[in-house]
Amino acid sequence: MLEVSRLNIALPDRPLIQDLSFSVSAGQVLALLGPSGSGKSTVLDWMVGLSAPGVQAKGALSINGQRLDGLPCEQRRLGLMTQTPLLFPHLDVLGNLKFGARDPDADFDAMLAQADLAGLGARDVATLSGGQVARVSLLRTLLSDPVALFLDEPFSRLDAELRSSIRQFVWERSRDIPVVLVTHDPVDIPAHAQTIQLADYTC
Amino acid sequence: MGRALRSVSLAVIAVAFGLPLVMGVLGTLGTAIGWFPNSLPGLTVLSDPRLFAATRLTLFTGLMATALALGLCILTLMVFWGRGSLKRIQQALAPFLAVPHAALAVGLVFVLAPSGWLARLVTLEGRPSEAWIVPDPAGWSLILGLALKEFPFLLMTALAYLPRLNPDEFLRQGRVLGYRASQCWVRLILPNLLQSMRLPVAVVLAYNLSVVDMAIILGPGQPPTLAVWVIEYFVQPGGRAQASVAALWLLLVMAVGFLIANEIYRMCGHVTREFRTDSQRKPPRPGWGHAGRAGVMGLLGLATLALVSLWIFSFSHRWRFPDALPERWTLRFWQGRWDDWAPLVENTLSLGMASALLALLAAVIWLEAERAGRIPRFDGLWYLPLFIPQACVLLGWQAGALVGGVDGAWGTLVWAHWVYALPYVLLVLAPAWRSLDVGYERQARLLGASPWGSLIRVRMPLLLRPLLIGWAVAMAVSIAQYLPTLLLGAGRYPTLTTELVTSFGGVDRRVIGTLASLQMLLPWLVFAIALALPAWVFRNRRHA
Repeated sequence: MLEVSRLNIALPDRPLIQDLSFSVSAGQVLALLGPSGSGKSTVLDWMVGLSAPGVQAKGALSINGQRLDGLPCEQRRLGLMTQTPLLFPHLDVLGNLKFGARDPDADFDAMLAQADLAGLGARDVATLSGGQVARVSLLRTLLSDPVALFLDEPFSRLDAELRSSIRQFVWERSRDIPVVLVTHDPVDIPAHAQTIQLADYTC
Repeated sequence: MGRALRSVSLAVIAVAFGLPLVMGVLGTLGTAIGWFPNSLPGLTVLSDPRLFAATRLTLFTGLMATALALGLCILTLMVFWGRGSLKRIQQALAPFLAVPHAALAVGLVFVLAPSGWLARLVTLEGRPSEAWIVPDPAGWSLILGLALKEFPFLLMTALAYLPRLNPDEFLRQGRVLGYRASQCWVRLILPNLLQSMRLPVAVVLAYNLSVVDMAIILGPGQPPTLAVWVIEYFVQPGGRAQASVAALWLLLVMAVGFLIANEIYRMCGHVTREFRTDSQRKPPRPGWGHAGRAGVMGLLGLATLALVSLWIFSFSHRWRFPDALPERWTLRFWQGRWDDWAPLVENTLSLGMASALLALLAAVIWLEAERAGRIPRFDGLWYLPLFIPQACVLLGWQAGALVGGVDGAWGTLVWAHWVYALPYVLLVLAPAWRSLDVGYERQARLLGASPWGSLIRVRMPLLLRPLLIGWAVAMAVSIAQYLPTLLLGAGRYPTLTTELVTSFGGVDRRVIGTLASLQMLLPWLVFAIALALPAWVFRNRRHA
């Protein structure tokens, strides 16, 4: 279970979030909702350990009872997908997956096939379509064996048809871990998700 | 405007890059094989027993200095990225960029010599140590000097390329996937950065393999590097043909140097390809960042000491070993020699002003023609004069100048300085010129301005700052030119640089310190003007 308790965040010029607490169980989705500037991405950045310089945050983050908030980002083992998935251009598709993988002997071909990417392992990532980029990025994140998954508006730049299929792809592959979804679009929120309106916690 | 612009810009390209190359290499070749009157074939150079040692030394110092400068640049990025101190380092490096190579070399000798400042600061003995020699026979002093001088250029270039590579997002993605920051640099950012920086690194390598002034001051003498060897032949009576053969040999050695560097780069890529995706997350190594930062700051401190030592020597009256500072100070060396040095300053400034203004004019015409679609983008071509050893083309130019009766003419020197200043002006000016919002000129044209009018009244004032920086860079390049002034000037236009390099070793250190301080001061003044003028002109404007 992922737990955030008594989170307070202040930007260099003003307080932003006050006393935010929530918990998400494995297999559950929590949607953080709110208009632009309400602090959705700032909360996510704090959770993954990549707060911008000058941002002051106080609060506790734990997974299955283990505190993570004092650890550097790379030791938290959290997965993050953003609205602009970044594939490393000097590595091919397989190289990107191997970079993410914790198990170098994982069956990459099978994973590619399951994601409708069969035979694309050696492809230059610059030649992939938007949907393929999103799927490779998610596979790479999942191969890093995250203990929780954070999604920062990952569907917002996709067209309607692709958006639906990628959403399905994500929910199917993240059934065993807690998922936190940041979005301003209700369409992206699965039916079983809990929701939090960040506006209720902004200063 | 269009047709005239195209003709003038193509003429600029031909005169800047086509003519020097063809004339230089053909002239050198012609001299080498005895085409010109009173010249004999100089192939005897190839049987000189020092040839192999000089070749090995040239390759060793050139490749090592380039590797060290690049390594220092990478280390600085890795340990300072995301910290406010990187900005401060960037600001602190600007004066080092402007310092002529010769002045830094002299400063390093003043600091590192057995009786130098460093020895004075740390020695417990009453006399200079005999344990080390600077310049050393293996070339390490030269390697250090070249690396310290070229590192700021590589760092500035890397910082210009990095925003396009999105390193913050790479670091973010890599760290979220479990890698520590240094692993993200090595696995994700550097492969892309080094790919982008191949051309600037090659320019640095070309320079390091063919440098003359720094090699005379910091390099070993027996044998010297090939570029210095060329000059040694050149100054011997009747040695021009041998010098030309040696220069062509240097060109060949440079090609070999490039092949070796390319092979090393390819092998590194091959070796690291596997580990880039080996999935191995490494635990943090506390202390490595501190050690890296201390190393970078230590080397920058050494370079700073070198420059400060020039000033101290220039004002010292009596300075016995092992005193850390002079016992007595004096203005004698600044006041007493002014009559001798005024013509040097005058020549340095007149050549610098003329070649810098011409380079600026040529760059504006070139970039404007490119913007108007009259000529294609020739980005790679800019670097061409920097890839061919000066010794190799200058001997040809000199032969041509002798035949044409313009040897030792002021105009010939201005042209030579201009050829070497123009690439740097283009490098500085092009990004700003290309990225200025075209809406300003469109608006000016709609309001009735002619194309020339909008260029002069809108575009150039808006780009005053980069234009002045380009001018300052061109001045600095001209001030530092040693070989073109020496070979084409026929001794009629000695400059601060030629005087400094020629006098080094045979003249009182205090005099050399004053000369080097003066040589360093001029580009600093020029840069100060280039920075202050737009700030003053646009003091009431936000965009400045």
